[in-house]
Amino acid sequence: MLLEIAHLTVRYEKAVLINDLSLCVDTGELVSLVGPNGAGKSTTLRAISGLVAWEREIKRRSTSGDIFLEGTVTFNGERIDQIPAHEIVRRGLVLCPERRRPFREMTVLDNLLAGAYLQKDPKKSRETLDKVYELFPVLKQRSPQIAGTLSGGEQQMLAIGRAFMSEPKLLCIDEPSTGLAPRLRQEVFEKISEINRLGITILLVEQEVSLVFKMSCRNYVLSSGKIIAQGTGQQLIEDEVLRKTYLGL
Amino acid sequence: MNIIITGLITGSMLALLAISFSLIFGVARIVNIAHTAFYMVAAYCIFSLTGKFGLNPIAGMMIAVVVVTVLGLLAYKFLIDPIREHEAAVLIATIALAMIFQEAVMLIYTGDYRTVSALIEGYFIVTGVKVFYQQVLTFGVVLVVLALLWFLLMKTKLGLAIRSTAEDREVANLMGMNDSRLAMITMGISVALAGFTGAVLAPLTVLSPFMWMEPLIIMMAVVVLGGLGSIKGSFVAAFILGFTEALVVFMIPKGAFLKGSVALTIMILVLLLRPEGLFGISFEEER
Ligand SMILES: Nc1ncnc2c1ncn2[C@@H]1O[C@H](COP(=O)(O)OP(=O)(O)OP(=O)(O)O)[C@@H](O)[C@H]1O
Ligand SMILES: [Mg+2]
Repeated sequence: MLLEIAHLTVRYEKAVLINDLSLCVDTGELVSLVGPNGAGKSTTLRAISGLVAWEREIKRRSTSGDIFLEGTVTFNGERIDQIPAHEIVRRGLVLCPERRRPFREMTVLDNLLAGAYLQKDPKKSRETLDKVYELFPVLKQRSPQIAGTLSGGEQQMLAIGRAFMSEPKLLCIDEPSTGLAPRLRQEVFEKISEINRLGITILLVEQEVSLVFKMSCRNYVLSSGKIIAQGTGQQLIEDEVLRKTYLGL
Repeated sequence: MNIIITGLITGSMLALLAISFSLIFGVARIVNIAHTAFYMVAAYCIFSLTGKFGLNPIAGMMIAVVVVTVLGLLAYKFLIDPIREHEAAVLIATIALAMIFQEAVMLIYTGDYRTVSALIEGYFIVTGVKVFYQQVLTFGVVLVVLALLWFLLMKTKLGLAIRSTAEDREVANLMGMNDSRLAMITMGISVALAGFTGAVLAPLTVLSPFMWMEPLIIMMAVVVLGGLGSIKGSFVAAFILGFTEALVVFMIPKGAFLKGSVALTIMILVLLLRPEGLFGISFEEER
């Protein structure tokens, strides 16, 4: 197993965001995590990449409420739930965050180079950059442009490209299709498949269930912070109740 | 001519002060009211080192910058860092720090005006106006430092990390950038620059324990005019204010007394008309 989450619980003050969640991802897989708005999908990704713990530290320092975080996260055979976010990236668990979050004031190239911050060898960064440009030719074309002026689709490509620059073993992507036209969604999903075929394991959070199920190996359905179902796309769709209530199909 | 020279010199110094103030604000959201107090400490350091201990002025400047940087890092570590996430507390703590510096200077040097001798004496005359070599030197050195700072920010990995953290520190963490460590480093750079500004300014001004207040106000006006957090904005706004100040001082009788109020007026106007400043970013909530 590349990633194993066991009994993860996240509470903000009294609100339970994640409730005893366990899931795993095997090397090479493309696993999706779907579910309705507010189910806790983003929180799950933020928890495993260390951002929830990071936020907890800030809240404690500013005495503006507390976050409760419990459970174990094992990545590549190592416990990472006590490791700070900026160290988790180094292990190869990389998050491409919700709402893309490019560095809007910086150029496309600087955004990508920021992704390669931990790579000490400039030659290696250069190689990864070439791979990103190959995957997303539009980024090469736009490399001197200020990221904030890119279109939504381009910004999503940039966010994925930037995460790719961190040389992930496991790439977690949070709702890449939000706000994109159907044709662009299709394109983004194709790129994600392509990255997966390069041998990078992917944990994908999405609402666009019909498209995701076509390319994923396995899926988890999350609702109110709990895994309520799991299986292949086919298995999940065959379940009438699940399909109507949670998948909106 | 006088206006141009004064405008350029004031502008370049303001640029250094405002940019270094913006840097630490951008990276750690620290509003360092003591920023110009560090600049005052550097000036007094030079006064002591070159005056009392008879040190070579260049050596004096370097030591002064180092002393101020160390002071700044200590203040950061023990005073600011523990309350870093409390913006109001940081504000109050840095005001207190500025007052401490002011009172310490008052105790050691008394409130008398002091001067520091110029590195090079003499002047030349352009279109009937005296230009002191010291002024040219100061301007040149400040420009060089501004260029170095630009290089550091735009062309090095550390600069990339500083800019990334300033823009979105949560996402910066996702790229492996340690925001606490970067805040510490940036504080060092920021205070070193404040100290440096004080060091090069010392020969051109009179030292007093209150010399930190006026530049603080004008620097804030620059930062507001340029747009909070925008380095480019601070740079442009610094020269705008530098020239405005020079104009007011030379064109209006007794204009020197109006310097502070002009800066404040500009600050208020900008806040009313265009709160994001010339190049400012309208801040998005982080989550
Ligand atoms: N900082 C916070 N403080 C308190 N509650 C929060 C915080 N962040 C998120 N929540 C709540 O936690 C729940 C889960 O949020 P999360 O963002 O993980 O959902 P999601 O599944 O990603 O939803 P979406 O599909 O809308 O992105 C939501 O009900 C949300 O309102
Ligand atoms: Mg979400």
